[in-house]
Amino acid sequence: MTSPRAASPRALAWRRRGDAFAAGWRQFARQRSGLFGLGLLLVIVALAVLAPVLTDREGLNVINATGGPLEAPSGEFPLGTDRQGRSVLLLTLWGARMSLTVGFVAALLSIGIGTIIGILAAHYGRWVSAGLMRITDFFLVLPSLVLAIALSTVLNPGIGTVILAIGITSWPPSARLVRAQTLTIEARPYIERSRALGGGHLHVITKHVLPAVLPLVFVNTTLAVGSAIVAESTLSFLGLGDPDPMRPSWGSMLRSAWLDSAVIAGAWWYLLPPGIAIAIVVLAFTMCGRALESVLNPRLREG
Amino acid sequence: MRSRRVALGITVLVSALVTVPVGVPAGASTQPAVRAEAANQTQILRVGVTQEIDSLNPFISITRTGTDILRTAFDFLTVYSQEDMSPVPALAESWETSEDKLTWTFKIREGMTWSDGQPITAEDPAFTYNLMLENEVARTANGSYVEQFESVEATDEYTLVIKTKVPQATMTALDIPVVPEHVWSTMSDVGAEPEMPMVGSGPYTITEFEEAQYTKMKANPDYWRGAPKIDEVHFIYYRNADAAVQGLQNGDVDVVNRLNPTQYDALKSDPNIELVQAQGRRFNEILINPGAATEDGKPIGSGNPALKDIKLRQAIATAIDSQTLVDKVWGGYAEPAAGYLPPIFSDFAWSPGDDVKREFDLDEANRMLDEAGYEMGPNGVRLDKQGKPLNLRLLAHAGTNIDENGGPYIVGWLKEIGINVTLEPVSDTQVNEDTTRGDFDLAFSGWNANPDPDFVLSLQTCANRPNAQGKGGTPDSFLCDEEYDRLYAEQLQELDRDKRVDLVKQMQEVLYDRATMVILGYDNVLEAYRKDAWEGFPLQPADSGVIMNQQGYWGYYGATPAGEGPVPTFDENGMMVSDSSGASDTDTTNAAGEDGGNTGLVLAIIGGVVVVLLVGGFLFARGRRRTADDRE
Amino acid sequence: MSDILTPTEEALAEAPPPTRGGGALRYLLTKAGGGLVSLVLVIVLGFLLFRVLPGDPVLTMTRGRPASKEQIAELEAQLGLDKPLIAQFFDYLWRLLQGDLGESYVFRVPVTQKIMERLGPTLLLVGTATLIAVALGLWLGTRSAWRRDSRFDKVSTSVALALWSTPTFFLGLLLMAATSGWFPTAGMVNSDTPPDFFSQAVDVAHHMVLPTITLVAVVYAQYQLVMRSSLLEEMGADYLTTARAKGLRDAMVRRRHAVPNALLPTVTLVFLHMGFVVAGAITTETVFSWPGLGLLTYDALEKRDLPLLTGTFIVLAGAVIVMNVLADMLYRVLDPRVRAS
Repeated sequence: MTSPRAASPRALAWRRRGDAFAAGWRQFARQRSGLFGLGLLLVIVALAVLAPVLTDREGLNVINATGGPLEAPSGEFPLGTDRQGRSVLLLTLWGARMSLTVGFVAALLSIGIGTIIGILAAHYGRWVSAGLMRITDFFLVLPSLVLAIALSTVLNPGIGTVILAIGITSWPPSARLVRAQTLTIEARPYIERSRALGGGHLHVITKHVLPAVLPLVFVNTTLAVGSAIVAESTLSFLGLGDPDPMRPSWGSMLRSAWLDSAVIAGAWWYLLPPGIAIAIVVLAFTMCGRALESVLNPRLREG
Repeated sequence: MRSRRVALGITVLVSALVTVPVGVPAGASTQPAVRAEAANQTQILRVGVTQEIDSLNPFISITRTGTDILRTAFDFLTVYSQEDMSPVPALAESWETSEDKLTWTFKIREGMTWSDGQPITAEDPAFTYNLMLENEVARTANGSYVEQFESVEATDEYTLVIKTKVPQATMTALDIPVVPEHVWSTMSDVGAEPEMPMVGSGPYTITEFEEAQYTKMKANPDYWRGAPKIDEVHFIYYRNADAAVQGLQNGDVDVVNRLNPTQYDALKSDPNIELVQAQGRRFNEILINPGAATEDGKPIGSGNPALKDIKLRQAIATAIDSQTLVDKVWGGYAEPAAGYLPPIFSDFAWSPGDDVKREFDLDEANRMLDEAGYEMGPNGVRLDKQGKPLNLRLLAHAGTNIDENGGPYIVGWLKEIGINVTLEPVSDTQVNEDTTRGDFDLAFSGWNANPDPDFVLSLQTCANRPNAQGKGGTPDSFLCDEEYDRLYAEQLQELDRDKRVDLVKQMQEVLYDRATMVILGYDNVLEAYRKDAWEGFPLQPADSGVIMNQQGYWGYYGATPAGEGPVPTFDENGMMVSDSSGASDTDTTNAAGEDGGNTGLVLAIIGGVVVVLLVGGFLFARGRRRTADDRE
Repeated sequence: MSDILTPTEEALAEAPPPTRGGGALRYLLTKAGGGLVSLVLVIVLGFLLFRVLPGDPVLTMTRGRPASKEQIAELEAQLGLDKPLIAQFFDYLWRLLQGDLGESYVFRVPVTQKIMERLGPTLLLVGTATLIAVALGLWLGTRSAWRRDSRFDKVSTSVALALWSTPTFFLGLLLMAATSGWFPTAGMVNSDTPPDFFSQAVDVAHHMVLPTITLVAVVYAQYQLVMRSSLLEEMGADYLTTARAKGLRDAMVRRRHAVPNALLPTVTLVFLHMGFVVAGAITTETVFSWPGLGLLTYDALEKRDLPLLTGTFIVLAGAVIVMNVLADMLYRVLDPRVRAS
């Protein structure tokens, strides 16, 4: 009666979410470091995505290398060359694709596992919870690097193995976090009401719990990508990364630099770019994540 | 008050960390001088090694470093000469063989003693060899030498008689450390680690072993060739070669070997360091699995069946450019591929003549494949005879220069001829297992050849394939070729050296044609030592040889501290000749200009760190002052 | 950043959850029981994971030597490889209970002996680094929270974040390049150092500088950030307002009330964090050739020495689990809120 075109509950929900998002963005935009991180990330992702347009992938093939071994930076090679005479700038650019891909996918896998286990553990209390949390605790304390190395050794080397090894070893913290959040949410009256109205497990989980934990999951993913990138570089550094010479990652570049004695040769241009790239990207993700975190957790908010 | 105390604690800790470096640079830079001063007391040669010692039991150790140490601690019946690696007398001063070449009589030198003063007699080698015949554990490292022994006996105190089942070419080069009977006969477990200090007969005795850290040896003053010039040799373990090189630059070690080209070039500008570029005994190869099978012909493994086609293998061999690998991967410190045996063994080495030689030529390789019927499929990958795309795996040793750096070239070249190769870098152990099982298409491999080529030649025979369970053999390329095996048998019995050389060359031509392996090149052995502290070392062989990992002990035995030269050489009886200077040819040092730039940038990094520390320190100090103000 | 897995601060600060009801004994038993279950799982996992690794020890051991069918069978029997998997497992379990982890394929000595040899250097490195990292982290964290938004806070938090974002091995390599010549870059002690205690200690300390700095730089950031955020949280708590209202001086309030309470999650984190320190130790020890358990693990993996791998895996994981149980108990002792419930 009030309005001829009464908004459907769905549309209402969407509008509410839209408003919440806008408010969140305003909060986020107030944090300089978060914005800075986001900007940095956008630039790096854009460079990685545009790498095939900007450069020729064949430059990664050693038989096409034009430079001398470990040449210092020059006009032709702004970041010098590696042992095989390839441009370090080109390698770093293409390395971004590999490192970011592994970082994103592995983080999603890890958070995905963590979210499912966390929600299930909180939602179905008692035995399920006890069992799942026991497993979570177990994986939480395992020295994950040792486990990841072992997994990478068992499986065939390649990008898939790296992602799997990182995903499988890094989910427990998010499972605990999601569980805690789910417990808080399920204690709220509206969940009880939904149950009383006959909402099944699936309904409660997908319609109420999941939307409520998603922001937290999002923040967590942002933070996890950084860790996954570092994890990828560690595995690659230990020689467990993708061995395809046409698909370098920052970690495998560092491994090559290490094996090729860049430290002894003083070839800083070979050592610094991939390492600094990792640090910058991880830092950017962390800054974004922390800013998001403070949006969601008012107690951490500035001023 | 508590947090103040905590802060104080941290300050102490931090300042402890910070002051250590302050005291250090001075110490580090003066180290060689300090050592020279201390020369009057203890003269120590510190050798940097990058391989962990598996065992110091002479019957067990098979690692390069372990055997290098043990060779220096236990003498042999005969030893390879310093000059040209021909067999020369050691514990045995002379020897003779029977007409049928089955009975060998060694005359043991009189008057020699073990490091504990007991006399060395024929009973000691007799005990050593008999122990190996009786005890499987004792055959672990050097069992192949005694495989064909019939009996070993000390007929009197200084006469040793060995009877063999078949004529054995290696009788004057038994690489078996002889152990003292009076010590080893009382040991309950032959495989156990011997007690320190170990009673030995070499120029040095092993006195201390700290696992994964160092092995110490002391000069044996009673060594029968004469005591060494120095007092101790320490083998210091470095997990990676860069650390060893830095150790050399810092003066923590005196000599290192197995440098990669980058390290070698970087050391050129260091005025205190002398470089040694030696011809290597190693050939590097890529195996092409021609259809692996056991010794009774049962196929094993998962090799791509397309590689059974010799035409395909030859095309692959044509698409691999040894010269590029020499230039780019070995930085020029290698020799391009020719025959199976490395050029250091100049008599046996073979080069393909113009009529058979395959020049690197991608177009030619493509033409060969077209001709052989490998049609180009989608994505630029050729199809095999069954119409499947030609996808091959390339097994590589992770962390090895030629494998890690050469692999991408192989992948790149073969891509150009329509073969898709996946590089698989894995642990050395796994390469060994997979190649033994035949689970490979292409694989990096390589062997150190000996002056007598018998062993590496035997690798390519039918008999060397694994037994029915796929174990027990040391196959290389799984070649099983009638002609090759016939020639192998002939050369083994050929006592005329020239004829044997000819047969060995024919065998290499067969190998070249069959293309079950492609020789990639022969890398030089790159070593470096501190010339401010050392005059030099006897090299083996004398003209282009090495200091470390010799087939003997000359390098360590003849180590000469700076100012105490000349470096000795050893004559055809292995006795020291002091009048000639055996120093190696020097590499010119001209890379100083280039290095200046690097140093500047390293300095810039240091500068950055210092700035960070200063800023931190500043904030730290300011924070402190303010709390102090707050307090009262 | 030292590790494959970086838990978010909350996840760690949140653990361990306060238990409701039940006495101290029950709490202890639950925690100890949980730890025990984890230990058993580690043992099972250690067995399975490394049994599944593709590798044939007999092949490795006989390579390069002629071996007859009988010798191979004997070797297999000796290693117990001819028995069914379940029997192998119980064999392994029984020997494990007696402290026997089998014999290393590569070194041919008992794995236990090998691990004991390497335990000391690792404890020394990890212990020193952890102590320094904790002290540094707590101090910087407290300081940053104190002067929230001051330049000190901003700079130190940024530095911590930057170091935390850097892979351990990269930091190690950088340190190596930047300090070239000042410090030994490998090993623990020079072979020609005089054997007296003082010279040895100085030499070890000298060798320890770079690995310790690397490990500290990577680890301390977590402590600092957690200390900072939990102190900030405490400072906003009601009881502090009350205390202040009672007229207690600010500094006193913080020192007496806020800091001890904020210490709690951080100290717990130190124990919970041992797993990550262990992972950091593996890469640090690899880069600086420090002769500890981390390097042993890496070497064993490289050479695929199965018994040695299983051994280091169990010892490292076991140690971390024990640390966690201790953390839980410590938490209970320290936190009056948990104790009271």
